[in-house]
Amino acid sequence: MKITTRIAKATALAGAMLLPAAASAEELVVGAFGGSFAENAKACYVEPFEKATGATVTLKLANSSQHAAAVRATAGESDMDVIFMDDAFAAQLKNEGLTEKLDRSKLTHADEIVPDAWGADDAYVVAMLSATTIVYNPQTVTTPPTSWKDLFDPKYAGRVTIGDISGTTGWQFLMAVNKMEGGSLDDITPGLKAIKPLAENSVVLYTQADQVVSLFERGEVDIAVWYPDRAGVAAQKGLPVAVAYPQEGAVAIKPSVVMPKGTQRSDLALKFIDQVLSAESQKCFSEAAFIGSVNKDVKLSDEVSKIVPTDEVVKKLLFLDPNTMSQKLPEWTRQWQREVAR
Amino acid sequence: MSNWKAGVLLFGPLALLLIGVFLVPVLLLAPTSFHEYAPGVGIVANSWTLENYARIVTDDYYREVVWRTLYLGLGVTVSCLLLGYPVAYLIVRGPARLRLPLTLLVIFPLMLNLVVRSFGWIALLSNRGLVNNFLIQTGLIGAPLKLMFNLTGLMIGMTHIYLPFMVLMLVAALQNVPRDVEAAAATLGSSRSHVFTSVTLPLTAPGIISGSILVFVLTISALVTPRMLGGPTYKVMATLIYDEYMQLLDWPSGSALSFSLTVIAIAIIWASSRITKRWAGMA
Repeated sequence: MKITTRIAKATALAGAMLLPAAASAEELVVGAFGGSFAENAKACYVEPFEKATGATVTLKLANSSQHAAAVRATAGESDMDVIFMDDAFAAQLKNEGLTEKLDRSKLTHADEIVPDAWGADDAYVVAMLSATTIVYNPQTVTTPPTSWKDLFDPKYAGRVTIGDISGTTGWQFLMAVNKMEGGSLDDITPGLKAIKPLAENSVVLYTQADQVVSLFERGEVDIAVWYPDRAGVAAQKGLPVAVAYPQEGAVAIKPSVVMPKGTQRSDLALKFIDQVLSAESQKCFSEAAFIGSVNKDVKLSDEVSKIVPTDEVVKKLLFLDPNTMSQKLPEWTRQWQREVAR
Repeated sequence: MSNWKAGVLLFGPLALLLIGVFLVPVLLLAPTSFHEYAPGVGIVANSWTLENYARIVTDDYYREVVWRTLYLGLGVTVSCLLLGYPVAYLIVRGPARLRLPLTLLVIFPLMLNLVVRSFGWIALLSNRGLVNNFLIQTGLIGAPLKLMFNLTGLMIGMTHIYLPFMVLMLVAALQNVPRDVEAAAATLGSSRSHVFTSVTLPLTAPGIISGSILVFVLTISALVTPRMLGGPTYKVMATLIYDEYMQLLDWPSGSALSFSLTVIAIAIIWASSRITKRWAGMA
């Protein structure tokens, strides 16, 4: 009995000594996407931030919906301080009252950001711009595709892949086709009907972006609906892929940053977001990830400009309202599960 | 009194664990499953509805997934039983030198991570996988067989993954069969097959049933393998629940489905233990 008490005392003492030490070291938990995103975030956001502030950053990796689910599960006491997620999920969390307003006066780079990047009531800010577009193998596809319709060409049957609706390209491509076929936000039947045969001809309805890399690598597909940023990184590593923007307009993807409700370190979190928005970090990330920047002062290299959506493409981009998307997506997913993926 | 005390002491730790990490969380889900969900806005507080449950019965997509899950569970259980019984029989009754290598062979897959095993099956079963490549190169088939994202893929993968559980249960059951009883039946003129069907098989009934329950329940609740081998097109209840929670953020609907799955599993365990009692009692 005596020994137990002694151990308990020792543990309590050790705990008391360790706890304040752990609390005083400033630590920021940032929710991010995995894969190359995390690597680039470390190099372009985390390293300069840690150098400037002396704080340490821990990355927590998951996709947008998993992060959103985690924020809701911990309602108002999130274990993360800053989270990257697609704008539709950021809008959803805002509607659930789970985000903190981003105070522009505390962000030194706020004025350099394109005005469209700010979410409603400054609940989130878009951190980069990518798109859902066409990616093809230039060795087997000699005339570059110019339209979404090219994907439906019978010669690509069994040589094409599109994303499942659970991924961003999945529902965004559905929206693009639906618009092309004359559907509306209230009636996506035309889109679903048009996509069904393509889904059947698709080698796989991919659920992870990286699946597409191995499909191109093994020569299983010639053409895909994919992300220009992933394609740019893959092409740099020697994968035979090129990016084409359809004349109907690619669909804009806007990965955003939010500050979840209940963060204990909102000042430090804002400093991190400020770092993300700075021209230096924006340029670094854009060039590493082949993704569009939201900072007006950033000038990209030619190699990167060829891939990311630039002026002409951006004018044609289809921008989907994140609020509407977050409200409609569950219903569309159910329809997709029943009518396309069944 | 001291017996009762010993019982509580023996069962206490497990009971506390089960109540704390299983029963309480499951019960916490109950209120959620009766709430309404407004997409884009969240769970509607103070709303009460039965719709999440009604939908499972009325919506033919959910119905299809429920039946598919049960069918898959049954299929995997039967094939584990058919494949596992001879192996277990060989381990217990076969030559002693085979016992250790066979047992190791059965247990070995359990030492590998589930994700790794499922990836292994993807490498084997995909369109350009080993199986299809071999069949195409030998000229047996022209176009690749569809072995993934359907019932075939899940049956193959999950039978492999849950076979060890079945074999280990059957080995224990077969070891408990007294050889004298079989010898007595044989002495009285029973043929070998008759001894097997009327003596050995009924005496291993408890093992067969408990092995089957284990495999069935593990199969219908499995998430990782169906996600990897079933993909987005071939959903079972577990993957559907995951989607409702993590992708659609519709927790009420996900909770209702989770409850239904739990109720189905408990009902099946209850029914099978009754059947065991009868069957084993007859022997």
